[in-house]
Amino acid sequence: MSPRRAISGGRIDRLRTIRFTFDGRPFTGHAGDTLASALLANGVTLFARSFKYHRPRGVLTAGIDEPNALVTVLSGAVREPNIPATMLEIYDGLNVASQNRFPSLAYDVGALNQLGSKVLGAGFYYKTFMGPVIGPLKGTRFWMFCEWFIRRAAGLGSAGLEKDPSRYERMNAFCDVLVVGSGPAGLIAAKAASDSGARVMLAELDATPGGSANWSGETIDGLPAAEWAAETLRDLKARENVRVLPRTTVWGYYDGNTLSAVERVADHRNTPAKGEPRHRHWTIRTQSVVLATGAFERPLVFPGNDRPGVMLAGAALRYVNQYGVLPGQKIAIFTNNDSAYHTAEALKKAGAEIVAMVDVRDDTSVAGREIAREVGGEYLAGHAVVATEGGAQVSGIKVQRINAATGALSGDPRSIHADCLLVSGGWSPTIHLASQAGLKPEWDNDLQAFLPPKPTQNWVGAGAFNGSFSTEKAISEGHAAGLTAAGATDGKADELPSVDADAFDPNPAPVFEIKAKGKAFVDLQHDVTADDVRLAHREGFVSVEHLKRYTTLGMATDQGKTSNIPGLAIMAETLGKPIPDVGTTRFRAPFAPVSVGSLAGERYGDIRPERLTPMYDWHVENGAEFYAAGLWHRPMIYGLSGESVEQAYVRETKAVRGGVGLVDVSTLGKIAVQGPDAGAFLDRVYTNMFSTLAIGKARYGLMLREDGFVLDDGTTWRLGEHDFLMTTTTANAGKVMQHLEYLLDVVWPELKVQLTSVTDQWAGAAISGPKSRDVLAACVTGTKVDNDALPFMGIVYGEIDGAPVMICRLSFSGELAYEVYSGAGHGTHVWQALIKAGEPFAIVPYGLEALGTMRIEKGHVTGAEIDGRTTARDLHLDWMLSKKKPFIGSAMMDREGLVAEDRLQLVGIVSLDNRPLNGGAHIVEELDEANPHGSLGHLTAACYSPSLGKYIGLALVKGGKARQGTRAFISDPLRKRFGPVEIVSHHFFDPEGSRMHG
Amino acid sequence: MVEQESPLKPVWKPGTRGNFSDGVGVYLSETAPGSIVQLAAWHGEEKAIIAAIKKVAGLTLPDGAGGGAATGTKAAFGFAPGKFLVVDEQEGLVAAFAKSVKTETGTVTDLSHGRTAIRITGPKAEWVLAKFFAIDFSLTAFPVGAGRSTVHHDIFAQIQRSAPTQFDVYVFRSFARSFWTALCHASEEVGYEVK
Repeated sequence: MSPRRAISGGRIDRLRTIRFTFDGRPFTGHAGDTLASALLANGVTLFARSFKYHRPRGVLTAGIDEPNALVTVLSGAVREPNIPATMLEIYDGLNVASQNRFPSLAYDVGALNQLGSKVLGAGFYYKTFMGPVIGPLKGTRFWMFCEWFIRRAAGLGSAGLEKDPSRYERMNAFCDVLVVGSGPAGLIAAKAASDSGARVMLAELDATPGGSANWSGETIDGLPAAEWAAETLRDLKARENVRVLPRTTVWGYYDGNTLSAVERVADHRNTPAKGEPRHRHWTIRTQSVVLATGAFERPLVFPGNDRPGVMLAGAALRYVNQYGVLPGQKIAIFTNNDSAYHTAEALKKAGAEIVAMVDVRDDTSVAGREIAREVGGEYLAGHAVVATEGGAQVSGIKVQRINAATGALSGDPRSIHADCLLVSGGWSPTIHLASQAGLKPEWDNDLQAFLPPKPTQNWVGAGAFNGSFSTEKAISEGHAAGLTAAGATDGKADELPSVDADAFDPNPAPVFEIKAKGKAFVDLQHDVTADDVRLAHREGFVSVEHLKRYTTLGMATDQGKTSNIPGLAIMAETLGKPIPDVGTTRFRAPFAPVSVGSLAGERYGDIRPERLTPMYDWHVENGAEFYAAGLWHRPMIYGLSGESVEQAYVRETKAVRGGVGLVDVSTLGKIAVQGPDAGAFLDRVYTNMFSTLAIGKARYGLMLREDGFVLDDGTTWRLGEHDFLMTTTTANAGKVMQHLEYLLDVVWPELKVQLTSVTDQWAGAAISGPKSRDVLAACVTGTKVDNDALPFMGIVYGEIDGAPVMICRLSFSGELAYEVYSGAGHGTHVWQALIKAGEPFAIVPYGLEALGTMRIEKGHVTGAEIDGRTTARDLHLDWMLSKKKPFIGSAMMDREGLVAEDRLQLVGIVSLDNRPLNGGAHIVEELDEANPHGSLGHLTAACYSPSLGKYIGLALVKGGKARQGTRAFISDPLRKRFGPVEIVSHHFFDPEGSRMHG
Repeated sequence: MVEQESPLKPVWKPGTRGNFSDGVGVYLSETAPGSIVQLAAWHGEEKAIIAAIKKVAGLTLPDGAGGGAATGTKAAFGFAPGKFLVVDEQEGLVAAFAKSVKTETGTVTDLSHGRTAIRITGPKAEWVLAKFFAIDFSLTAFPVGAGRSTVHHDIFAQIQRSAPTQFDVYVFRSFARSFWTALCHASEEVGYEVK
């Protein structure tokens, strides 16, 4: 038998033993245990070392508010730090390590930090890392050197460096009513909403829905509350219109009643089921929300309040009633309200000895006094605990008389022997989500707590969330909230379950801190003491927002769930103001830590989808190396064994210029522009005329932005009277589509034009080179392809190996060339037929590198030159600017700055030292390697030109037109490439275009 | 006539995979229709297009956003104001509509090669699709026959509920393999069969 496991009681399965390890030591627990309850049952009280001072810490709470007992879960090489032991369900093989200690939890070197605690107070980092302003270390980096050690000494757990192999998923959900919290209020709300026909989701952050019913020990509808909750849950789960999500933390409340939640799907199992995610992130869009999130108990602030063995009284009630675990054998209780009396009763019943009931109030209730008498031990009304005794475990407490109204202590302290001290400082409703979807919280002087704010979204609260702490009230409010949320009115309130429970007065005495000598902690997770709060005040941090940032109170993984109100109360007292006048910080999302994996979801390891052309598999099988071009994967080269990239593209280029080559151009953006006004529309969006284009012809077109700069270029083909096929550059397809849709939707809604992305409808294969016509002639049926039938920019329809094709004669390479379009599903079929027909002509497939080389040789522009800063004139495309009609950009393109002679203009660059050039290198007049300066512009593209036998490039150079024929230098300090170049015309190769017109 | 090649060819693996503790959750398939045609009505001509769909495809569409109808071989649904997708097992639908839809009524665009139709059917179809799309897939919000336009990451998708537990997802052909791979991955949890 475990030393602290009660003989009976609890909702654990005592017949199932679970084996796990903590810091390498084997332990056992039972199914239904958390790590905290199982370790407590084994008599473990030391769980962690504190953040700053490395003080020994135990477990303070039994839930998500736990500030102390954070552990690291080890799974293979993966470590997940900062998991509250109170939220971690044990399973066979669970392996857990404690945090922030060296070499072990019991003997920790970092505990020496406590000796320096005088200087480690609030603002330590801010003061320290400014560095000495006087003395021998002034101006040195010595403090930066120290920082490494100091930062190492502080902290929580450390994440591992291994890749997380877990699976995470995202899920979308829609419902009428989302109920957050499944205590009695939430269960009844869900039932009421479901009864009235609403689609309901019920989210519970714990493993076992039921909330306080799981540990209250009360009786509901004649059943023990936990059984009533289980029964109600069974009923709800069986309903078609209810979805219950246990282990699900609703962490954010966003506009439009959209809430975020994370479900810990498989954290309670050694291995997730096949295909099961570890965490599932829910985005829940709901009509309305019932917030039944309960309340958090507050600790009291007094010296030694962080010693292991000090625990919240409500947590102890949960340990004994839900897990059958006694937090100690000789238990003292220290409270400012009635709720802790209930705990005393339950512990006594489970076999613990209550050695003392210490209540700051003189005038305790009759019922309270009665319970105190029944549980035995000393009853010390009007007293306070002023210290705890012991080492890494409470061995006793010191008590002294207190005036609850003034906080003044009197008399001499005296010791009482105890191995556990349970504390209750009152209850704060869990208003975090409401705070994200409401106005400012409202202070309640009776409860000494903030109540939910007025909603700014469609939610309604119930139960302890509202400050209604009795179960009877929770049930009636839950019922009403469920009906309201569902938009129903005729619920049967008289049929609500009856509750048999002790009545207690939840209002605490307004005592938050016992001012006695010694370190009294407000924020246990960040080691912030009451003195730190006062120090911050003395140093001028009087706003609660500044207090939080300066002391770090309420930060870290628990976000101050146990410390915000006590910290605020101490600040208020220091300022001499009432608490509501000091204000409270707004609770922001997330309510509790959210795994990054669950936010990333399926995008983990798969940032973007792949976009593949119809011929992709052929390229792979034929040795292509790929580029990512946006989402597309495009062949770069088809390298032969042992070939470098340069050797491959030079070979491919020579093959095209000397014979014939085939390149996949399916990625070009293709937009069907249809309708009776299509021609007129194109005239408005292109700089040149399209309405006059004959059917069966294509034309090169240029588009400007409204501001006169170049947007995109491409060819547009007229397939019918009202039917055009526009092509765009691969990268700009989406941008152009948006631009055109905007114009039609907003600027010219009267035009009858329909746009459809047909990029994926067509496979495109460009066949180029002096022998390209011969290859087509060998395989195309149903049409001729000679110069008469298919002149430059002409379009014909035919078949290749039985597949319908549309062929347009146009050229990007400067060679005689054609683009062969087929249905995408026929793409590979047609491609293979072209390759086969080209075999007698030594056809080669070529990639983007060769394509790029040929376009540089021809001086054609792409996205590198159409970079959003260049005009048509800069790119020598002013011949395309129609003077007969206005078009998008025409009003702005002649602005002074856009026609200046010294603008960056497109030129060709020839390397004079026969070494490669790089895109991005600067062009300068004078070379100064030590102090590079005086950039005239930059290279946009570069290659080795097999046609010229030189390394060449295109560049945008200041006043480039006037510089043709002059010398300059490239200056590329990053890549240490400097050298002489000649500035020439961008038309390197066949400037007359005789080859492609031939 | 040359058969269309499926973009899913290398990742098409018939058979069952994943967790079958509760049986097969979803069946995944590619319907590979012969015709996928987009019709767009000029403002005020929507009813004329709906009439054309009835005449050519024999499907009666309800008047209203996202309405549609599906039979074993044909389907049609509205996916945007005045815009419809019409699908037929057989080829030749585009030619039929080209004759039937006048220039002054709207446009006909052939997408038979441009879109890939993926069918997901089974008791867990709604669950699996909810992993991808922020759409309410419940029968009340998304009735049989209706269509929706949505997006998963960068993948635009048009979805029709063609039966109570059956959805047809139309994605751009170039994205089909990526989407299919993700769909199989997401279906492992409930057990899936490719057929």
